[in-house]
Amino acid sequence: MKIIVKLTGALHAEILRDLTRRHPFAVERVGFVSARIGTLADDGRLILLTRYHSIPDDEYVNDPSVGARIGSEAITWAMQAAYHGRPQREGIFHIHLHGHRGETGMSGVDNREIPPMIPGFQSVGRDAVHGFVILSLDHGSAWVWLPGDQEPIQAMDMAVIGSPIGVFQRGRRK
Amino acid sequence: MNADRYSRQSFLGTDSEEFIARCTVAVPGLGGGGSHIVQQLAHIGFQSYVLYDDDIVEESNLNRLIGARFADVLAETPKLHLAKMMIYGLQPQANVRGFACKWQNHPEPMRECQIAFGCVDSYKGREELEIACRRYLMHYIDVGMDVHGTDRPVIGGQVILSSPGGPCMRCMGFLNDEKLAQEAARYGKAGARPQVVWPNGVLASTAVGLAVDLVTNWTKKHRSHAYLVYDGNEASVNESFTLRNLKIQPCSHFAVSDVGDPVCVEL
Amino acid sequence: MSYPQEQIDELKRYCTKVSALSEGGIAFLYLEELRLPAGCKPEICDALLCPSAKDSYPSRLYFSAQITGPYTRNWNVTGARIGEKNWWAFSWKVELSAPTLAQLLVAHLNGFAKEK
Repeated sequence: MKIIVKLTGALHAEILRDLTRRHPFAVERVGFVSARIGTLADDGRLILLTRYHSIPDDEYVNDPSVGARIGSEAITWAMQAAYHGRPQREGIFHIHLHGHRGETGMSGVDNREIPPMIPGFQSVGRDAVHGFVILSLDHGSAWVWLPGDQEPIQAMDMAVIGSPIGVFQRGRRK
Repeated sequence: MNADRYSRQSFLGTDSEEFIARCTVAVPGLGGGGSHIVQQLAHIGFQSYVLYDDDIVEESNLNRLIGARFADVLAETPKLHLAKMMIYGLQPQANVRGFACKWQNHPEPMRECQIAFGCVDSYKGREELEIACRRYLMHYIDVGMDVHGTDRPVIGGQVILSSPGGPCMRCMGFLNDEKLAQEAARYGKAGARPQVVWPNGVLASTAVGLAVDLVTNWTKKHRSHAYLVYDGNEASVNESFTLRNLKIQPCSHFAVSDVGDPVCVEL
Repeated sequence: MSYPQEQIDELKRYCTKVSALSEGGIAFLYLEELRLPAGCKPEICDALLCPSAKDSYPSRLYFSAQITGPYTRNWNVTGARIGEKNWWAFSWKVELSAPTLAQLLVAHLNGFAKEK
């Protein structure tokens, strides 16, 4: 199944600005972004990222063993967003940045820490898509859980609809 | 492919060829405007296309339909076929998805695109395309021309860039309820509209120029919108007077709830 | 835009489901499986009621198909795109003072039942 992610240039810039800010103790920053669904041909899905939520500094937990750990208030916010997004089938994506150029992939920590969040989002926002996005300085990858799915599908493309346009293709360096 | 092929457009940037190749463009409408646009996109190096047109070549098209020959009139060649041949003739490896229908009858492929060119004949058609582009996050580049008056004809036209998050055609003063209402009231009485090749060429070239800039950013202008007015009598293209005097604010006509598949909330 | 629940409930007498749809700042009511007046083919179809001014009409009723009715009508909207579906409407101006939603709907449906 083909999955494509799109977001506006303004949203992409807002996310990068926030995620590249220094944090008092965390090595990385994390955020959440709302997502809506579009239907593509051949049952494909278009994931449209719409709004970004920056996690306040004091909602991080000081854990030197990982790049960033968010606390329960941040998770609660995300769960509430998934709940309130139900009428509009709006889901929640965890998003963070790997500070290099080129295609991104999941680190061991990402793989361990992020997917376990998804069932919680699915339980409150059953008809929405949820997942996570990992950006680099000039690329991005997304893993998407369609409604009811237990396993993610990695998006084929991510497109930033701005000026300039950015098309990040899976398997392409940048 | 010969490395010299795009050497004359190297000013667009080091990676411009790759950025152009990665982009997917939609052209609903392959008539006088759309046929110009498709030709230029193919020359420049665009590789992925979603095309729509359900019409065939007729003799009255020959004054402006790029690529059409008299033989196509006799053969009743679909305009879609002409466009595909144009593209494949320049880009043999292109990925062209063509649909012999109106885009409204098969809209899903268009949603994958980053840019959609609107070469349609009506305000209503433009409004519908813009709504679809806002829903599924595509840059919308609108192209249109008209000839007014008979004793002293005046050729006019426009190229408009409407981007998600930026001012829409209503914000920019091009579309309004009055125009849509007047057009609805004239339904069925429009008749054949005057169309000639050279204004179509000017407008299509301007539109393609905007698209290339969106992909390559070669001008570094980072445009969020554009409204360019063509005066065919003066042979000029200038920024719309309305836009020059408009205070640009966030678009109030499209909300976040207008993004994605429509959701009907049961009452 | 929200409507009194009793007006929504009244609308439900004419169809199986009433939903709210908004697009480009305009609010519509999506009426699923609306029952059309006698003599119409099809007898049932989906409809969109726009209670506010649109396309130079004070209100508008769109249908998911072009309907054949007892009288010839000027279908001046053919395949209009709203809410990612295609809709049809005929020219019929309804001018009522502060109607309920059901009164508005019936006034539009009278376009099939009345010669003019």
